[in-house]
Amino acid sequence: MNHYTVLAKMLTEICILWFAYYGILIFARGTRGVYVLRGIILITSLFIITKLLGFERINWIFTKIFALSILAFLIIFQQEIRRGLASIGQRRWSRFFLKQSEIINEITTACFLLSKRKIGLLIAIERETRLEDYIESGVEIDAKVNSELLITIFTPNTPLHDGGIVISGERIAVSGCLFPLTQNPKVSATLGTRHRAALGLSEETDAIVVVVSEETGGVSVAIGGRLTHDLDRESLERVLSNLYRPDKKNSK
Amino acid sequence: MNNWITNNFWIKILSLILAIVTWFYVNEELIKEKQMTKQLYKSSIISQIQYPSYEKKPVK
Repeated sequence: MNHYTVLAKMLTEICILWFAYYGILIFARGTRGVYVLRGIILITSLFIITKLLGFERINWIFTKIFALSILAFLIIFQQEIRRGLASIGQRRWSRFFLKQSEIINEITTACFLLSKRKIGLLIAIERETRLEDYIESGVEIDAKVNSELLITIFTPNTPLHDGGIVISGERIAVSGCLFPLTQNPKVSATLGTRHRAALGLSEETDAIVVVVSEETGGVSVAIGGRLTHDLDRESLERVLSNLYRPDKKNSK
Repeated sequence: MNNWITNNFWIKILSLILAIVTWFYVNEELIKEKQMTKQLYKSSIISQIQYPSYEKKPVK
């Protein structure tokens, strides 16, 4: 066996272990199991340290604790293990990509239909930073992202058409939200309130904000305090598919 | 791509460290095990176990 094969095997095995550990840590995050995991990691670290330092007796004690801890682990995590195994069996691995592309498709369809009719739209897509402060100012919707629903919300002379909507995870959280207007003096004076709100929110958070102009029907995206004007459908889809991860947020 | 890396960054780093430590630990244990098996073969303990003395060997 040559060195490259050995190295490839080693890297593959480390990657498998990496994915396994990552899966366990992500699964345990936010549950009571995380504290137990912290304890296990601490004991493991002590075990390795005592082994490296050659403390045979301490190491022997840790070995015995390990043997017991496997049993304790199975008992403590009984429910979590059952839930985890069930979710592995039930998971549709293609679901994530399908879900992402479906939602992006719904958003872009709504944007370009409203753009054709020159109806204004303002959508904030939540990412890492929570948009709770802005969500509170709106009306709760909690519905699946759907182009028909988006069009209905933004149709003029309806109660919720003013303000913006927030998409959190894979759901429309609220509509009629008030977003902060940009205070940047360099922003063009011709820019409307909707675009200013999009810029303002993108300056304060990491949200992706999609705007359709009422006057021109142009589709723009604001990210990190920068506004990109007149996107076509492909560009908007590309931007969203690169930045939007519906799985990162738990759907309600 | 950037988001893929930065998302849960510290959990990724922690799991990578754990994976590397586990791999080297298990590797070391396997090497020890192999060495011990070799030594056992050399000292013909295994052959004695396989052919215990009470078994009658064919006599010429």
